[in-house]
Amino acid sequence: MAKPKIKSEPKASTQVSAAPHWNVVVLNDPINYQGYVVVAFMNVLRIGAPEAKRLMRLIHAEGRATVWTGSRERAEMLVLELQQWHLDARLEADA
Amino acid sequence: MPELRLTMTKEARNVLSDLLRLIAPAAARVSVNRADVPAADEDIAGFWVETLTAQASEEARLLAVAFAGAKGDPAVIVLANEAQGQAFLRALSAVRLALRDLVFADITDAQLEHAEDLDDESLPTEKRHALACYACFGLLQQSLIAQLYPEALD
Repeated sequence: MAKPKIKSEPKASTQVSAAPHWNVVVLNDPINYQGYVVVAFMNVLRIGAPEAKRLMRLIHAEGRATVWTGSRERAEMLVLELQQWHLDARLEADA
Repeated sequence: MPELRLTMTKEARNVLSDLLRLIAPAAARVSVNRADVPAADEDIAGFWVETLTAQASEEARLLAVAFAGAKGDPAVIVLANEAQGQAFLRALSAVRLALRDLVFADITDAQLEHAEDLDDESLPTEKRHALACYACFGLLQQSLIAQLYPEALD
């Protein structure tokens, strides 16, 4: 009796790749006062004054800083909200 | 929360109102032009521009109404709540951005950051005038932040 031919199960070769992260980047600008930038960060990023000040100082010193990293949808919303505060914010894919 | 008050002399109010009449209509366009809008998705880009334009137009209207309603000497602008205060802060930022792009286009960022050093006889009268208004709008913004979010100031 012939042995039933058992189809071998296809080997799973699923590659799990992490969803790309997106950065919310804010550039330094000479128009908005530091206190105003801190207020914008507190309201948009929902962070306290000390963290908002740390980010603001980083931008002032470096010319730019990533203020948030995560999903594309959320990053897009945050960039739009920061632009509504007239900050020079942009969306960048994580390298 | 108590109402927010911005006080200025009657003369300052008149000068700032006159400048606002000129610059506010352009402020919305300037803020949209400056924004880095993701262009990959046409629908998203359209929504993005629409959102920024609508908000900037509303802010320009808010400023015009506030300054027109500030009577007396000293003139006082009264804002009822935090939401109005935030909108006013953003509106003042939009006007300063518009002045930067439309009036001070030939002044470098570094010079503008130390604008107090610029206010001398070498500048044309209308530019010195606009520079004084630019500084005044900044002072109003600082005063509002001190009332709303004192923890944001050093």
